[in-house]
Amino acid sequence: MFLTDIRKEFYDVVVNQRVALFVSSDVDALCACKILQALFHCDHVQYTLVPVTGWQDLGTAFLEHKEQIKLLIKQDDDLGIPAYDDIFRDEEEDAEDSGNESDSNSEPSGKRTRFDEGAVERRIERQRAKREWEARRREILFDYEQYEYHGTSSAMVIFELSWVMTKDTKDMLWWAIIGLADQWVHDKITHMKYVTDIATLQRHVSRHSHHNEDEENSLSIDCMRICFEYDLRLSLYQHWSLYESICNSCYTTSSFKLWSMHGQKKLQEFLADMGLPLKQVRQKFNSMDISIKENLRDVIEESSNKYGMKDIRIQTFSVHFGFKNKFLAGDVVHAAAALLENVEKEENPSDNFIRALDSLSRYAKLSLSTAPERYTPAGVPDLSTLHRSKLDQLHCGIELAKKKLIAIQQTVASCICTNLILSQGPFLYCCLMEGTPDVKLFSKTLALTLLCKYLLKSFVRSTRNKRCKLLPLIMTAPMDVEKGTVIVLGIPPESETSDKKNFFGRAFEKAAESTGSRTLHDNFDTFVIELKTEDRSKFLDALITLLS
Amino acid sequence: MDPSEVEFLAEKEMVTIISNFSLDKMYLIGGDLGPFNPGLPVNVPLWLALNLKQRQKCRIVPPEWMDVEKLEEIREQERKEETFTPIPNPHYMELTKLLLNHASDNIPKADEIRTLVKDIWDTRVAKLRLSADSFISQLEAHAKLDNLTLMEINTTRTFLLDSLNSMYKLRASLQPQPAAKGHHY
Repeated sequence: MFLTDIRKEFYDVVVNQRVALFVSSDVDALCACKILQALFHCDHVQYTLVPVTGWQDLGTAFLEHKEQIKLLIKQDDDLGIPAYDDIFRDEEEDAEDSGNESDSNSEPSGKRTRFDEGAVERRIERQRAKREWEARRREILFDYEQYEYHGTSSAMVIFELSWVMTKDTKDMLWWAIIGLADQWVHDKITHMKYVTDIATLQRHVSRHSHHNEDEENSLSIDCMRICFEYDLRLSLYQHWSLYESICNSCYTTSSFKLWSMHGQKKLQEFLADMGLPLKQVRQKFNSMDISIKENLRDVIEESSNKYGMKDIRIQTFSVHFGFKNKFLAGDVVHAAAALLENVEKEENPSDNFIRALDSLSRYAKLSLSTAPERYTPAGVPDLSTLHRSKLDQLHCGIELAKKKLIAIQQTVASCICTNLILSQGPFLYCCLMEGTPDVKLFSKTLALTLLCKYLLKSFVRSTRNKRCKLLPLIMTAPMDVEKGTVIVLGIPPESETSDKKNFFGRAFEKAAESTGSRTLHDNFDTFVIELKTEDRSKFLDALITLLS
Repeated sequence: MDPSEVEFLAEKEMVTIISNFSLDKMYLIGGDLGPFNPGLPVNVPLWLALNLKQRQKCRIVPPEWMDVEKLEEIREQERKEETFTPIPNPHYMELTKLLLNHASDNIPKADEIRTLVKDIWDTRVAKLRLSADSFISQLEAHAKLDNLTLMEINTTRTFLLDSLNSMYKLRASLQPQPAAKGHHY
């Protein structure tokens, strides 16, 4: 469904009906879902929340609910959309035909009937025009589906909707910020787009926070404060030690080449250059000396310029509530993604989904309330109503994210040191074998995507071969041992001016067709597929011939 | 009575809100609710104010007494006097709790107000305990306490009544049995 006015054509229609909300498994979709949930709560809209992991899931869930509900909303990351008129005829479309309406952010359903009317001559004329039009349409759709890339974050789109209805709150703004940060962390949008979107959000943030600074009417400490930060590009550094964060963030490890001895030495030099004693740097960030923490960002920026890291700082936002809860947007993204793809315990995906969703809300009602809920006979208030479970989820997510980042860095280091990345001609190829440590973590899309991107960035730094630096990377990792499948993921080449368009979706489909490999193109991201292990080699050969 | 029942009764208090929607006058069994116009203040009962606030349809205006200086004065007075001082609102405790939990962004200096109200409460409840203690130990027959709020009474109600009942039973069992009438020895 293509929309021009999201409020009239979408929200006003939806608000009086029962809604099924299908949400895909990534952090941006989760954030958009939370904003919609908050809007629905305000307006007493009944809804059912269904997490989906791929097209098949969506289909089954749709069929299950088909009897009861007429209108569906699916959230997904944005895919680029060509002009409306080039694809569809405006008149005479059958509304009943596609009972599955998606919001403006997904692919066209492609099912439209058109009626031909008129006399024979006109009919012939029309048929000729129709054939031309069909040909053009096929071309456009092919172009459209050939490259996959991401547009505006869906959380931001829904936030704009709530702003238009003046129902936006700080919580919703924070979720929109997390949605945008997710796109940046998982490298889905270009830097220009990220900076433009940050500027848009900054306007909203300043609108919401003009109360905070007033001396006379200062806000309660429990209220949420969102601030713009020009903070360091070190993942999770405020919840970890500075040293660990530097060793496990993609930007710093690839710049220093921390998998080599030479790189380790450079890191020590870097720390010495900044005047940070090793003991301090290895401590938990919150326990570091105040005098060091004060100018940390500027000191690090200065030193990193000397070591060739010009962009160590990035624009982002942080949230602050209560006395000890401070989180950067990137931290929350890592935590939620780690919770979503938790492989530690044998939990089903919907439990993980709910846990990740919970980690995004912040209500941990500390009852410092002065009217106690229960009374003991002596009249002493009973403070056992401390309820912290949702913030705990966030902290749990942060711990999982730390483990994930460490695993990624170790895998990257071992891949580079053991030369596991091979050039196959038109692309680089890396295969994670069964026994690799933490390989279970990489059977999931988000984790594998992060690994791929970090690996490519590091590889580009480590190789001397100029040609190899411009190649895309394909990675395979075991997905399901019993079914004997591997997950295959392809990412575009690493470059400064990359527009992040990914053509592997189509390429994978064609290669699978031509070799008859058993593949499953189920994921919403078309550049990720599941493949039977036995078919792996012929699939790769087909890809090589296809892409060269 | 349960504290939650007392809180429920407190929700009938009127507060001022500034709505952002418009609605004609509502006629409810308990009374009329004035017409709502965006940007204009209107008096509504607390339960409605909280509901509207949670649906982001209004902004709550803090009551006049919910102000740092006024509360500081009241606290000082309470600490000086032996008896209970009159307080601005018979449901000050419940109002504070509800408003600060749901609408703390509309109330300036919310943290200080929370602390001040808690101090006032502590002082009053301490006085109540002292007086209950002396009442029981000196075996008084009746007592009079002014300016107590329902919530404070509720804290001692069960304990006081139960303990008086127990004391009565204990005393009754100490008395010698009265001679039955009509028996001549």
